[in-house]
Amino acid sequence: MLQILIQGLLLSGLYALIAMGFTLIFSIGRVLNLAYGAYLMVGGYMYFWVSQTLGMPKLMGVAVAALLGVLMGVLKYRLIVKTLKGDHVAVEISTLILAVVIQAGIVLVFGDSSKILLPIVPGVINVAGASVTYNILIATLISWAILLGLYAFVRLTHTGRAMQAVSMDAKGAAISGIDPDRINLITWGISGALGALGGVFFASYTQLSPSMWVAPLIISVAVVIVGGIGSIIGTLVVAHIVGFLEVIVVATLAPELRGVFTMLLIIGVLVTRPQGLFGREEL
Amino acid sequence: MIKTALLSGTCIALMASAAGAEIKVGFIGSLSSDTGLSTLRGAEIAVEELNANGGVMGEQITLVSADTGQDPTEGIRAYEYLAETEEVDFIISGSIDDVSLGWLPRMQEYRIPTLDTWTSYIGIIDMVVEDPDSMAPYFMNIASDEALATLYINFGADVLKEKMGWDSVVILAEDTAFGEAITGLVTEALAPVAGIEVKEIITYDVATVDFAPIFSRAQDTGADFIYQVSSVNSQVVSSQYVKLQVPMAMTGVNVAALGMEYWEDTGGAGGGISTLSPVPSVGFRLDPASQEFVDTYQAKYDSRPLLPHFNGFNAYHGLKQAMAAAEEAGGFDNVEGWAEAMKKQDLVLELDGQLWLRYAFWGDDEVEPVTGRTYPHNIRFDLSEPFDDAAPSMVVVQWYEDGTAAVVYPEKYATGEFTLPSWVKQ
Repeated sequence: MLQILIQGLLLSGLYALIAMGFTLIFSIGRVLNLAYGAYLMVGGYMYFWVSQTLGMPKLMGVAVAALLGVLMGVLKYRLIVKTLKGDHVAVEISTLILAVVIQAGIVLVFGDSSKILLPIVPGVINVAGASVTYNILIATLISWAILLGLYAFVRLTHTGRAMQAVSMDAKGAAISGIDPDRINLITWGISGALGALGGVFFASYTQLSPSMWVAPLIISVAVVIVGGIGSIIGTLVVAHIVGFLEVIVVATLAPELRGVFTMLLIIGVLVTRPQGLFGREEL
Repeated sequence: MIKTALLSGTCIALMASAAGAEIKVGFIGSLSSDTGLSTLRGAEIAVEELNANGGVMGEQITLVSADTGQDPTEGIRAYEYLAETEEVDFIISGSIDDVSLGWLPRMQEYRIPTLDTWTSYIGIIDMVVEDPDSMAPYFMNIASDEALATLYINFGADVLKEKMGWDSVVILAEDTAFGEAITGLVTEALAPVAGIEVKEIITYDVATVDFAPIFSRAQDTGADFIYQVSSVNSQVVSSQYVKLQVPMAMTGVNVAALGMEYWEDTGGAGGGISTLSPVPSVGFRLDPASQEFVDTYQAKYDSRPLLPHFNGFNAYHGLKQAMAAAEEAGGFDNVEGWAEAMKKQDLVLELDGQLWLRYAFWGDDEVEPVTGRTYPHNIRFDLSEPFDDAAPSMVVVQWYEDGTAAVVYPEKYATGEFTLPSWVKQ
C-alpha cells in the first residue's frame, strides 16, 4: 500500500508537470495544442544530444531543452496559431500534422530505435519496500517547485494577472489595455518550456523514442477533460487522480489495463460532467 | 526516407554486380531494426560471395528488400510485394514471430520457398507437422522456441536451482505471440523439471515505459527471481531494472541484450542481466568460418549492428544452403524437389576439433530424444551434453556491470560465470 502511495505520488508529480503547459494553452488560447507532445519529445532528444552525445553538463542540457521549447512555442504561435486567427479546428489539425512532421524529423536525425537517457541524478533509495530513483524524486520535486512558481507568477505578477484576464475574457482584457497577442505569445513560450522540461524528465524516467509524444499528449488531454478548463491547482489534482489510477491498476489488477481506466474516466466525465470535475475556473 | 534509400541502395548495389540476373531473392523484415538488418546483411554477403563464384546454375543472384516495420499487416503487404511485383524465386526472412504468422498464409498461397532466420515459434513447426504439403516451402533455421525453452529449463535446474538455491520465480512477459509461447513453455516445465515454482505471471503491454509498479508487484510475490520475456523495447525493462536496482535477480529472454549495441541502447544501465540466446550469441567463441563471416561483415558495414545477431549467421549460411538445394533440384519452381534437397543440406562447423555449430534440418519423422517429438523443417539442435550432434538450441548470455558480456551456459560454450548484480543479495 505504501509502495502504491509513493509511486503514485512520484508519477503524478511528473504528470502534473507534463500537463501544465498543455492546460495553460487551452485555458488562455482555447486551443488544443496537439503538437504539445512533440515539445516533450524534442526536449528529451535535445537533452540527450547535449548531455550524452556532446558530453556537456546535464544542467546545460536541461537549459538548452527548455530554451528550444520556448522557441518552438513562440514560433508555433507566430507562424501557425496567429496566422489561422482563431480557427480552432484548423489550428488543432495543423498542430497534429506538425507533431507528425517533427516525429519524422527526429527519426531522420536520431533514427527510430529507442534510446535510454542516463539519469539526471543517478542513484536509488528504498522507501518502504519501493525502489525510488533519485532521478524521479528530483523530477517530482522540481515539478512541484515549477508548479508553485507558476502559481505565484500567475497570482502575483502583472503579466500573470494579465494571463488570468485573457483566460477569462480576451476582448475585455484588451479593452482594459492588455495586449492579448503578447500574453498569448508569453503563454506559448512558457508552455513550450514546460513541455520540453517535462520531456527531459519523462524521457529520463522512461525512454526516448520517436513515438514518445503520444502518451504525454493523452495524459494532458485527460487532465484537461477530466479537470475542466483549468486552474493550476485543478491540473495538479487531476494529474494525481490519473497517476494514482495508473499505479493502482498496475499494482492490483493488470499492467495491460494501465491506460484503460484513464480512458474510461475521460468518457465518464464527458458523459456526466462535460465541464470537467473542476468546471471552468480562472488560472 | 532512410528506408527508401536503404532499399534503393541495396537493390542498386546488388543489381549493378548482377546484370542479367535471373535468380531473385527477396528479403522480408524490418529495415530499421538490428534484427532485420542482421538477416539482410547476412544475405547480402552470401549473395556477393555466390555471385563472385559464378552464381547459381550459371545465373547471377539479385536481392530485393521489403520492409515490414515489425508490423504484421505491413508484413503481409511486404510478402505480397515480393511475390507479385518482384516475382522472387526465394524469400529469406528476418521477421519477428507475429509478422511471420501474418504472412504465412501468403506463403502457402504463392508457394515461394521461404527461410525464416529469426522466428522461432513452435506453432509454425506444428503447422509443418499437421499440413506438410502446404508448408513444404517453409524452413526455419533457428531452433524453435520449444527447444530454446527446454534447454533453458536445464539452466534453471543446473544453475538457478542447484547453484543459486532459488525455489520460485515471477514471470514478467510482454503481450505478444512470442511472449505467450515462451511463457507457456517455461511455466509448464519449470516446476516439474527444475523444481522452481511459478508464483505469478505478470503480462504487460509492449508500449509500457514505466516498470516501477510492475517491479514492485513482482517483489510482492516473494519470488526468488524474475524471469522476463521481452522481444520489443527490451532495453526499457532492462534499464529500469538497473536504474531502480530491483533487489531480485532477473534472467530470461531479452532480445535487446542479444546484440552488442545493448550497452549503448540502455545508456550503460544494462549490467547484471542474463538472457537466453540462440547461437551464435554475443560473448560466443566463433569457429573459423563464422569468424571469417564476421570479418567480412565488419569490413563491409560500419553502422549498427556492428556484430550480426544470430540470425545474420543463419541468413548467411542458410541462403547458401537454399541455393545449393536449388542447384540440386534444378531451381525453385519445383517446391517439393527443392524442399527435399534442402533437408539434405548439412554444414558442420568445428572449433578445436569438435562440433561447434551445425546447419542441418531434422528429418520429417525423426524424433528428438529429449522432447520426444518431431521438428520437420526446423534446424537441427542438441538439447543435452556433450552437444556432439548439433549446437545447443540456446546459450545463456550474461551482461556484466562493466559492459562486457559472456556465455555462461552450457558449460561447453561458457566464456564467463553467472553472477548477480552488485545490488542483489544472494
